[in-house]
Amino acid sequence: MRWLIAALGLVIAGAAAWTAYGQASSGAQPWSSELSDNFMLARLLPFALGLGVVTGLLHGRGARAEHRADGAVRRFSTWTVAMHAVISLGFLLALPTGVWQYLGGILLATLPIPLYWVYRVHYVGALVILFSVAAFVAAWWYTGDRSLLVPRGAWGAHLRGLAYELPLPAGKALARVLRIDLRVRPPAPERFTFYETAFSFPTWAFAIGLITVTGLIKALRYVYAVPGPVLWWSSTLHVAAMVLIALKTLEHLRYTLGRWPLVGAIFTGFLGPAAGSTHGRVAAPDSSPVGIGGQGDG
Amino acid sequence: MRATAATLGLGWAALNFVASFFMVTSAFVAPTPAKEGLPAQAVLLLGGVAIEAMAVALAWQCLRILGGR
Repeated sequence: MRWLIAALGLVIAGAAAWTAYGQASSGAQPWSSELSDNFMLARLLPFALGLGVVTGLLHGRGARAEHRADGAVRRFSTWTVAMHAVISLGFLLALPTGVWQYLGGILLATLPIPLYWVYRVHYVGALVILFSVAAFVAAWWYTGDRSLLVPRGAWGAHLRGLAYELPLPAGKALARVLRIDLRVRPPAPERFTFYETAFSFPTWAFAIGLITVTGLIKALRYVYAVPGPVLWWSSTLHVAAMVLIALKTLEHLRYTLGRWPLVGAIFTGFLGPAAGSTHGRVAAPDSSPVGIGGQGDG
Repeated sequence: MRATAATLGLGWAALNFVASFFMVTSAFVAPTPAKEGLPAQAVLLLGGVAIEAMAVALAWQCLRILGGR
């Protein structure tokens, strides 16, 4: 049944894309390529979001193997592996083109290709990201998976774990600011490190949420009269979110490349037995009084 | 495989570093952010400095991998 709904969603989204393209290429409106693309984006947004929701339902709630025969532990489902690749592709299209739109305008620089092509690729990336965000949110709602979230009442333990996982000076500084007693050991991390649950995922969620909302408001102006100040703040915050996502991408690559088993896990879904626990280079908290020594480098 | 990933990471860090360099140098001299006001200039300056720092951190990580450490 879920596959049927997803197939129906795909057909509807495909028909919408075909119709929007037909309208844009008909020549009925005296619009420039850029303005025509803007309208096409605005028209396709609801369909990208809808297709994302039905794709999220494909995740399924059934039980899956948590261990492989070789002892590897499951870290991601196949669906998550696929959607991580899709959203990465979206960022690969949207981020460099977004940076170029911004910096090109500031530096008054031009490319040898028309500017509307930069916007066009940016909009394709934006649609892929919106589709992916809707899919992830729908999947988490449908499956009830909360493994990347800090459980209610557990922020203290997760922040303590984060302080342990950071390099010694940063961990001590964080502990001082948050008044964490490092003599008390944190619990062992579960599927994800404390760095991922207490810092990385919340900041990803904030940055992607901000760029999604501000991007939707910016696109909405082609179908609704958005007040000027709202549009101005949306544009400014969209740029700020772009900077945050550039930072997050760099941080994410640095963190995972430093823990090579995590790179393998995002392609296979499993963390190999050689990785020890589920966290690559991040060791379990040791028993020293100030147990940061020998931990990962955050 | 690790070397390929590290080389790609190094390229990504370099692109980010170049972009952030223009962000920092344009923060107070380019006419557009000056016209848009302090928030736009602050995004350029602070964002540019932060991206530069993170790009260096990623490049360092990639160089460590390429160096076999």
